[in-house]
Amino acid sequence: MAVTAPATGSAAPPAAAPRGLATVTPEHLRRRYRRDRFMIGLLVLATAAVLVPLLIIVWYVVSNGISAVLTFDFYTQDLGSPARALQGRPTGLGHTILGTIVVDALALLIAVPIGVGAGIMLSEYPDHPLNPVLRILNDTLNGMPAILKGLLAFSLIVKPMGTFSGISGAVALAFVMLPIIARATEGVLRIIPWSIREAGLALGLPRWRVVLNTVLPAARVGVVTGILIAFARAAGEAAPLLFTSFGNNFFSSTPLRYLMGPVDTLPARLYSLAISPYKEWHAMGWGAAVILLVLVIVTFVGTRIVTRARHATDL
Amino acid sequence: MRTLLALAASLLIAAQAQNVELLGAGATFPAPLVTAMADEYRDVTGGRVTVNYQSIGSGGGIRQFTEQTVMFGMTEAFLNDAQLADIAAAGGGVAFNLPITLGDVVPTYNLPGVAKGLVFDGDTLAEIFLGNVTTWADPQIGALNPGVRLPPLPITVVHRSDGSGTTNIWTSFLTKVSPAWADRVGFATSVNWPTGIGGNGNEGVAGVVQKTPGAIGYNSLVYAVLNDIAYGYVENKSGNVIEPSLTATSLAADVPLPSDTRILVTDTEAPDGYPIAGFAWMLMYENLDANNAIATRAQAEELLKFVLWAITDGQDLAEPLSFSRIPAAVLQLNLDMIRQMKFQGEDLGAQVLAAAGY
Repeated sequence: MAVTAPATGSAAPPAAAPRGLATVTPEHLRRRYRRDRFMIGLLVLATAAVLVPLLIIVWYVVSNGISAVLTFDFYTQDLGSPARALQGRPTGLGHTILGTIVVDALALLIAVPIGVGAGIMLSEYPDHPLNPVLRILNDTLNGMPAILKGLLAFSLIVKPMGTFSGISGAVALAFVMLPIIARATEGVLRIIPWSIREAGLALGLPRWRVVLNTVLPAARVGVVTGILIAFARAAGEAAPLLFTSFGNNFFSSTPLRYLMGPVDTLPARLYSLAISPYKEWHAMGWGAAVILLVLVIVTFVGTRIVTRARHATDL
Repeated sequence: MRTLLALAASLLIAAQAQNVELLGAGATFPAPLVTAMADEYRDVTGGRVTVNYQSIGSGGGIRQFTEQTVMFGMTEAFLNDAQLADIAAAGGGVAFNLPITLGDVVPTYNLPGVAKGLVFDGDTLAEIFLGNVTTWADPQIGALNPGVRLPPLPITVVHRSDGSGTTNIWTSFLTKVSPAWADRVGFATSVNWPTGIGGNGNEGVAGVVQKTPGAIGYNSLVYAVLNDIAYGYVENKSGNVIEPSLTATSLAADVPLPSDTRILVTDTEAPDGYPIAGFAWMLMYENLDANNAIATRAQAEELLKFVLWAITDGQDLAEPLSFSRIPAAVLQLNLDMIRQMKFQGEDLGAQVLAAAGY
């Protein structure tokens, strides 16, 4: 190899090094630069390996489902029987979208206070005698197959109520979210420096006020991220809903019935549409996938913007 | 916009609590018919009664009916004595099987250059599914199909991998026509297959058959027609070769029936009946209040009205959707069972029948 290689000016020399210096760089330093560039290349490749399948999935889902979601009926009609789709009568997934929002929102309502509470307990009261048990239970719940969480909600709520219901679906999804939220909250609270807590305690605040008014706000972005990850995970789950929210081909007759009666949800409906023998339902299944994707992305981006903005003004 | 307003209006009206939602679940095969009935019945009742039917399979239907989480179940395999005993033990008391429609199962195949209409008899189908006949060039198939050029492809048997009412009908036919099959395999919603590869659901079997030249499987007739898969004609007990059709299926069930309708109508004596057919039953409790899923008298009454409508006026929906009507004799048996249904001792079934003029 020629000593005066032209590669020197391009990528990696430190800002302090003027251009001419590279030509007199010893061989071992140049080897370092090469290795550095190689490693960066590997990282770019790894990032691409993660992103490309994601983009392919998004593109594939959207290109298959776009025709279904661009119709007005898709949002305003309920599904009814396959005959509707085959005969071109109005049919849609309005009731499914509504049901998904109700069930997911209620699941968040249940899981967030309990999950964040458990996270606070684990991080702020590390010496509490209940904590080892709590941690084991939390990890067990996290590792438990989602279908078992559905079964749990079935025996806890569906059987005593005598019917499938949106509430039982929400509880099953809350079981999915809970351990993720608890773990994430614990993780972010732990990295908040102790000095912040000490500052609060020095002002004479009780411990719970310190946690709520200083530690939690400082960790807000991290906590919200944990909640979002839990939400995204639960929003895509069909298994816990099969024997809890069960499904429905129609709008419920009263708003209360979305909680007390069987309701449709996007992941479960997507599955049943996909295995049906009708091309028209397959198209609607792709449409359901697009809506599910949009729901998760909108929630992610929206919450991010809100928490970022608040964070900025606080500072 | 109008639909939105209509929706808002219907939600407001719904708040008057006049509306009733009925819940059922079970067999996949009759789902297109039952949901179409639900659509129609909602119109008939002016939006007052909604019937929510979820297709979760015959096994699931029986299970949820026994667990008392649905108001009615639906199955292609009637409740056997052990299941009836389980239901009684779970506090449900007597359970009825009410035929709602008929299903037929056809042999589906993928043979390049051969259209639908290949003729099979029971013995040949049993030999193929036992793994004894392994090539389409086998003289046993050739003898039934003179003049058809059969490609010398090896036979790939495709069967259901999940528990299924379709499998129950198919294997009960093979059991009746072949002592060897009866001896080695028997019939059930899932059996120990001597040969072949499994597919999940009607769609799974259809998918494998469509992708594999030389494959033979079995599907609901509706399914084969909808997906444009070639299917065979089958020789019945009287020796007639029957093209699967709605009428041929109804004819197969036109035989003496027990009063509880628990009978497999495969391989019946009916001379023009298609031999691989079976009922799809609706499952209901004699004492409707014994079912936890039914909370009020109003729900029980609306359920009875819907069932009565489904086996009478609702039958008009069947044939346009490629489902068979139930024969007149079955209607009578259904009415007799409804007449026995009670709510907290009150003869609600008889009242509903009387109000409708039966």
